[in-house]
Amino acid sequence: MNDVSLFSRIGRRIRAWSRQHSYSFFSSLGVILKHKTGTLMTVLVLGIAMFLPLGLYVTLNNLDNVDLRQDEWSAVTVFFKPGIDGTEVRRVANELQQRFEPGSMTLISPEQGMADFRSASGFGDSLEILDENPLPWVMQVSPRSGSTDQLESRVAELTAYLDTVNSVELTQFDYKWLQRLGRLLDLGQAAVTLLVALFGLAVVVVVANTIRLDVASRAEEIEILALVGAGNAFVRQPFLYTGLWYGLMGGFIAVVLIALAMFYLGGPLGLLLETYGSAFNMRGLEGYHALWVLAGGALLGWFGAWIAVQRYLRKLRIGGRLGRS
Amino acid sequence: MIRFERVSKVYPGGSRALADVSFDIERGSMVFLTGHSGAGKSTLLRLVMMLERASRGNVFVNGLNLSEAPDRLAPIVRRNTGMIFQDHKLLKDKTVADNVALPLMIAGLKYADIRKRVRAALDKVGLLSKVSQMPLALSGGEQQRVGIARAIVSMPPLLLADEPTGNLDPNLSRELFALFEEVAAQGVTVLIASHDLDLIRRMHKRVLVLSAGRLADDIPARNIP
Repeated sequence: MNDVSLFSRIGRRIRAWSRQHSYSFFSSLGVILKHKTGTLMTVLVLGIAMFLPLGLYVTLNNLDNVDLRQDEWSAVTVFFKPGIDGTEVRRVANELQQRFEPGSMTLISPEQGMADFRSASGFGDSLEILDENPLPWVMQVSPRSGSTDQLESRVAELTAYLDTVNSVELTQFDYKWLQRLGRLLDLGQAAVTLLVALFGLAVVVVVANTIRLDVASRAEEIEILALVGAGNAFVRQPFLYTGLWYGLMGGFIAVVLIALAMFYLGGPLGLLLETYGSAFNMRGLEGYHALWVLAGGALLGWFGAWIAVQRYLRKLRIGGRLGRS
Repeated sequence: MIRFERVSKVYPGGSRALADVSFDIERGSMVFLTGHSGAGKSTLLRLVMMLERASRGNVFVNGLNLSEAPDRLAPIVRRNTGMIFQDHKLLKDKTVADNVALPLMIAGLKYADIRKRVRAALDKVGLLSKVSQMPLALSGGEQQRVGIARAIVSMPPLLLADEPTGNLDPNLSRELFALFEEVAAQGVTVLIASHDLDLIRRMHKRVLVLSAGRLADDIPARNIP
């Protein structure tokens, strides 16, 4: 056989293959559009199943987006012993600067502290009865910014060092709070993974069950197809496309539900986060997220259909195994 | 075209459908297969279509030993065999044209070619005017002719028919057999299972007689009075 005829043979095979697929593609679409109510119900269930993990993902994504790395939240407050003077405080500050290159450092003298307290607390004149200023020198140090883990280790190093400095009475930091939130977010991420797996399975099962009924109701048609020479692939294709359509439409519903939920929850959530002093922009799904959801849905739907059809073909024994009985 | 070599078929459960059947059918000939119901006619046709496998012996179709061919060849064997059923086996929710087009769809032909060949096949069975009707709107004879159009549309070298005249009146049956004769005249091997003995006798073709799974008689065409 010469090359030309080999190529034309391959070309013919590919064209035949693509025509068979276009036939399955349109026939599956026809079936879906014919059973509008059933399709709608299946697709809604799929959409909600996909919405749940997706919704949690978007929520976490937004929480992570709230600026958790604000310096003030990771700041360590250092109280010096009473009577320690500014010279020692500046020495310690220099030392810190060299060792840790902190992100920011503020020194507050006892006088300034008293002035701040006076104006902020409203005690005002009543503080006059104090003979001397009881406030110590105070220093606020924030570690260099970085990821949550980096911040955590930097704060730990900083406080460990400060504990060894004699002139320091006490260090205080809010870091635990941040740490907890970070851990909660990690937990949430794990929950998203778990939910994606669980609801992904749910999508496969729902599609498989729907297609199973679809296949059973078309048993006669399948038999006829097999009798006139359809192979398993040809019998399978329309159902696989149907599963793919289901998954795709379910994914679309999930994306739409996310958009609706964000529209509905965006206002109240924004107000809540404003009280944390955080300028907050709600983040929805990016375009590529939506594409992932659609592609994932389609793939799961296709897979569910494949399971259902494969099981049925095996049972039917048409075009399947022909044992030499 | 079809050769059976000492073929036996026992179904799971032990019922014996065919026992030690041997015969040879030449390419382009028209042969009748007759016998009482339960004599094994349908089983024989199912073996030729690779819907079943022989328990013993060899079935050759077009040179291929179906007893040893792998399962994946079954669709290809069926694509090269036109089959006509007593109950038509048409898709009720598809038009006549779509039903006839089915084997060509499976083969992956171009739509334009499919349309052309479907019309030609329907023209041959005299149903061109019913092209866009649903099968249930047609009479039994017309449905059977749709089945024939579907069986010949891909121009297979072999045509099988299982009791094609089962529900038809004698006039329609005669027309149908004349149609088969026409197809055979174009070089297609035609094997028809039927118990309509009067009609068979009138056709003057070779007749295989099955009785309780055995080949009881093999009457050559010249011996049909």
